[in-house]
Amino acid sequence: MDFDSLIYGFQVALTFENILFAFIGVLAGTIIGMLPGLGPISAIAIMIPLSYGMNPASALILMAGVYYGAVFGGSTSSILLNAPGISGTVATSFDGYPLAKQGKAGKALAIAAIASFCGGTISVVLLMLVAPFMADVAISFGPTEYFALMLLGLTAIASLSEGSTVKALISATMGLIVATIGMDQQTGTLRFTFGSPYLMEGIDFLIIALGLFALAEVGSLILSRNKQGFGKSENVGSLKITRNEAKEISGPIARHSLLGFVLGVLPGAGATIASFMSYLSEKRLAKDSSTFGKGNIKGLAAPEASNNAATSGAFVPLLTLGIPGSGTTAVLLGALLVVGVQPGPLMLQDHPDVFWGVIASMYIGNLFLLLLNLPLIPYISRILYIPKPMLISLIIVFCLIGVYAVSFNTFHLYLLVFFGVLGYFMRMYAFPAPPFILAFILGGMMEQAFRQALTISNGSLTIFTESKITLLLLILSFFSLIIPLIRPIIRKRQRSHNDHTHGKGMS
Amino acid sequence: MNLRTTNRKISILLILFSTLYLTLSFQLPKFPYAIVDSDVLPKGLGFLLLVLSIGLFFDKNEKKKEGKQAAKKEKTLLVGIVGMILLYIFLLEIVGFVLTTVAFLFAMTRLLGYENWKVNGLVALSFSFVIYLSFNYLLNIYLPQGILPF
Repeated sequence: MDFDSLIYGFQVALTFENILFAFIGVLAGTIIGMLPGLGPISAIAIMIPLSYGMNPASALILMAGVYYGAVFGGSTSSILLNAPGISGTVATSFDGYPLAKQGKAGKALAIAAIASFCGGTISVVLLMLVAPFMADVAISFGPTEYFALMLLGLTAIASLSEGSTVKALISATMGLIVATIGMDQQTGTLRFTFGSPYLMEGIDFLIIALGLFALAEVGSLILSRNKQGFGKSENVGSLKITRNEAKEISGPIARHSLLGFVLGVLPGAGATIASFMSYLSEKRLAKDSSTFGKGNIKGLAAPEASNNAATSGAFVPLLTLGIPGSGTTAVLLGALLVVGVQPGPLMLQDHPDVFWGVIASMYIGNLFLLLLNLPLIPYISRILYIPKPMLISLIIVFCLIGVYAVSFNTFHLYLLVFFGVLGYFMRMYAFPAPPFILAFILGGMMEQAFRQALTISNGSLTIFTESKITLLLLILSFFSLIIPLIRPIIRKRQRSHNDHTHGKGMS
Repeated sequence: MNLRTTNRKISILLILFSTLYLTLSFQLPKFPYAIVDSDVLPKGLGFLLLVLSIGLFFDKNEKKKEGKQAAKKEKTLLVGIVGMILLYIFLLEIVGFVLTTVAFLFAMTRLLGYENWKVNGLVALSFSFVIYLSFNYLLNIYLPQGILPF
């Protein structure tokens, strides 16, 4: 890493405009992330229309701010309401909410803010160190490596999804199928357009992101609108942390910033899995593990450091390979393509302003978040007390405007409603939506890489076994599919084995 | 309803869908000079979905419970909301952004149970105007003007 580049990045990030965009991004992210039910994908998708016409660096600075702002803000509702704002902060509620119930909500919020800030900042340093190295490796990648990488991303996200792997795979396949709609890039053949001129260019990713996530989440919000005790605002108490407490959480924060970053880089994992892994491993490490779940500050700091670190980690494959590893970064990629930047190993040379500008802006954004979340959080959290009926109506209109501002015709709005209904049913029947959006975004790129590879080899599939990296990636994706299938079998064996030995002991 | 039977119903639906998709894929026109033509991926995906749907039919190890079924009254509400959104889209370009949005926001918020009509009206009006003006004059994204003169 050279310092000139970072200084250049700060020159980009510290222009008045970009400071403003970083601020708007993290503020919007914090607020949307705080609202239970609306996750980072919805947050980014809702903000995308604002980025039209911006220069690419500013657009990504804004979007990245929304992303890590949402993960930062999600913890607030986890702590105050036991209603996680996003799935990445579910583990935060385990110890955060008990603390709030003991009247220490302020302290919990402060710890979450500090852990998030440290996790975010440490991981940006790591991102800065790792990314150029990754880009150097990736520059030699050909179509077979890219195809295998994307396949690994899809199989990993499917096998790491909650619940049934078959359902996650179906979701991913459906995403790929929807991506085949439109004009084929190579031959110009019209596929599945049914004669409609609106479908010729395929379906815009924003329609999928807003429909499958924001609108579908609104559906669940409608059903839960009367449940939580919204409407009464309580005093959060003092925000102060003692020196001993600071000492106690410094270990977990350091450990889980690192762990979170690594998990964020890996395809398919991301903030949710990182926060759960961190919570569980910290609990296992702790001497006072029995107080976990009853308001242990280490149990709060660990997942908070981890989920924020994972968000910067997720930028490594996105920026250096141009391949998103999660649903959220897939939407970010879509947003980047709209403003005319193709991330990938060449981005460091072709668009250093975007690359280094975003990294530098993350330092600034995290600082903003700390300022927003520490002194101002009691005021910002009032947003949770906006009447839900009003909030729901406003979000619906935002989604509709967002799509209208891309397409300027109502056909796409009907399509948006269709995907909203589809997303709602997918949630109801436990089909995970992130594999769908990732597959949809990767679909076109995967097909292109696959066909390029076979054109080079004149139709022979053996080209996929010629490069060692490709082969390794293909084997890894195969294993990521096999593991969830054999996991129940192993568990069954173990159980029967345990029963067996147990039975012997009894007799 | 039993989760297993629900899964089976979904699986049959998906099998039908993949068959339809496969039929359409086989009807795609041929392009003589491509080594991998545009029908290869759709055919592959169609078969993959078919296999996965059959897999879902026999899938037993489902751990996560399905999302809560909405009560009948709430279901009617959801259908009503979708209907209102469709009506909004239909009227958007005819009547214009400002008027439809004010009406939509007011009616939707009321429908979902918010009773203070003064606040509701104020929010609906100010939100619609602020969005309309800022999109049209700041972002240069023109929302439908409709029957209003500005």
